[in-house]
Amino acid sequence: MNFIDLKESAFMALDTVRANKLRSMLTILGVSVGVVTVVFMVSIIQGLNKSFAEQIEALGSNSIWMTKFEPSFGHQPNSEELHRKELTLDDADAVRREAPSAMSVSPLYRKIAETVRYEDKQSDTPILLGVTPYYEFTQSSYVGRGRFITDLDVEERSNVCVVGQDLVKALFPFTDPLDKQVKIAGKPFKVIGVMEPLGNFLGQSRDNSIFIPIKTFEKYYPELHFPESIYVIIVRPVSRAYVKSAVDEMTDIMRRRRRVPLGAPNTFGISSQDALLDIYNQLTGATYLVLTAISFVALMIGGIGVMNIMLVSVTERTKEIGLRKAVGATRSNILWQFLIEAVVLTGIGGLLGLAVGELASILMNKYSPLPAFVPVWAIGVGVGVSAAVGIVFGLWPAWKAARLDPIESLRYE
Amino acid sequence: MTEATVETSPTSSGVIAKPELPSNGKADVLILMRNLWKTYDMGAEKVHALHGVSFEVTRGDYLAITGPSGSGKSTLMNLIGCLDTPSQGEYWLNGKNVSEMDDDELARIRNQEVGFVFQTFNLLARATALHNVELPLIYGGIPGAKRHEMAKQALAEVDLADRMMHRPNELSGGQRQRVAIARALVNHPSILLADEPTGALDTSTSYDIMNLFEKLHEAGNTIILVTHEHDIAARAHRIISIRDGLIEKDERIR
Repeated sequence: MNFIDLKESAFMALDTVRANKLRSMLTILGVSVGVVTVVFMVSIIQGLNKSFAEQIEALGSNSIWMTKFEPSFGHQPNSEELHRKELTLDDADAVRREAPSAMSVSPLYRKIAETVRYEDKQSDTPILLGVTPYYEFTQSSYVGRGRFITDLDVEERSNVCVVGQDLVKALFPFTDPLDKQVKIAGKPFKVIGVMEPLGNFLGQSRDNSIFIPIKTFEKYYPELHFPESIYVIIVRPVSRAYVKSAVDEMTDIMRRRRRVPLGAPNTFGISSQDALLDIYNQLTGATYLVLTAISFVALMIGGIGVMNIMLVSVTERTKEIGLRKAVGATRSNILWQFLIEAVVLTGIGGLLGLAVGELASILMNKYSPLPAFVPVWAIGVGVGVSAAVGIVFGLWPAWKAARLDPIESLRYE
Repeated sequence: MTEATVETSPTSSGVIAKPELPSNGKADVLILMRNLWKTYDMGAEKVHALHGVSFEVTRGDYLAITGPSGSGKSTLMNLIGCLDTPSQGEYWLNGKNVSEMDDDELARIRNQEVGFVFQTFNLLARATALHNVELPLIYGGIPGAKRHEMAKQALAEVDLADRMMHRPNELSGGQRQRVAIARALVNHPSILLADEPTGALDTSTSYDIMNLFEKLHEAGNTIILVTHEHDIAARAHRIISIRDGLIEKDERIR
């Protein structure tokens, strides 16, 4: 095998493609579909991962959540977990005082889907958050106009609120929300601030929130009802490197406060971003598996098409193979010629598939909530995969061609 | 002609006596065949296509091999052309023992030593005359520029310099066969092996092709014609007649 063979083989391959346009196009199409599927799947997976990583960062990078019990998908909390003691504001204060790795501590109540009214307009979907002034810094989410909740608001249990961008759109399309009176579950609140927009997370808006002082929340919602409303202590460590020590310190503090005996399990839940990633992986792992399986099947079908066409090609060109052998082609010359022909077919299909896949992901980004992203290496994967399909499915036909007896082949009509 | 004395049966497997190498003896012996057997295993019975054929061909000879169909003529041609190896016996071509070669070595020998001309031309339909002639050079590993040069020269030798860029379907039967002859000549092989080269041509074109062979012979090429047509065979200088797998007659006619 030398460069001259390669050139001759590529020439012959393109010539064959040209001579059998329809047949070749159909084969190429089969491979394209496979590669489109692969590229498309990769772009969806990559898009999801990328936006997830970005948005975790935006959520308050490296933040640690302390809750009554560990969040988890796929199983309901057991009765031990449900009967645990609630976390309190004092717990949050203790962590703030005693954990040196914790830069900022934000206790909060969170209730999903509370009704908010302004005059004749109403929204039933906002998340109601009972917060302290520490919220802004801990979550890297700041007030845009007006002011945020202060210690005074908390102590006085004031009926003031800060609204997210979604509520501004829903309730105040034409008016300035500041100093307006809204009703949260029927109770009157004065709007003192508007949050900066945050964008989406996994297709969900993060701006659909309304904030009130934490003690005001306790005043109106003395009972917590899981999972509709929960209490969370969010901790921002000094830096990414301090996540682990912050978790350790918080665990120590809480075990001491609750007098958990040595060796007994925690009676509270602590999770960091890593845990969040675990949950994410739990959610997406199965999806990836299905997407990969679909891509694999699509490529198999494309590959079988290539094998079929190559077998036909070998049979049709038996006499040509005989002649090539008569003038000095070795088995490996013939093997390479047909392998390269298969790879040229699948390569064209691969390039076509890449183009279509790229286009699809661009369109998807534009017109659907799902993020899609084609990383540079996916182009390599597309080309590599299509070439591999050519080699795998072209090998047997090429081997058949290489093994043909020159005398029989020359006699073939 | 060399007498076959040592080996008489395809089943005996004694050590084959080393033949006189062309360089040791007559310097112009190009083909040396000693007691060639070719046996095909057809299930229960063995069919002997050749029963111990021996002959020599000197460099520059013009030989015709004739015989009715089923005589073993084609089998002999395949052996001479190194497309096949004998079941028994020895075949030396240009000083190389072909009978013991493997597939790749045979391919190499075919590329370097043998130029084939076929009854049905066997040109690549979608390649130009030039590319068709270049084919053996490609497998010989000759680089592009030199390849073009050699192919052009071979086409000029068969008077087709002006048809280089034509494809086979743009050429007449005689022109196609001349392209095929140029392809056979391009590597300067030891032998030009033509299998019924005029079988697909009309009488006057056949005449032209036979004249071309004569010209090539005069230029020093060793030519072996395989044919069942007596008037074609009669153009050669020596005729070997094959019947039932044996040489029936070996006569020099000019």
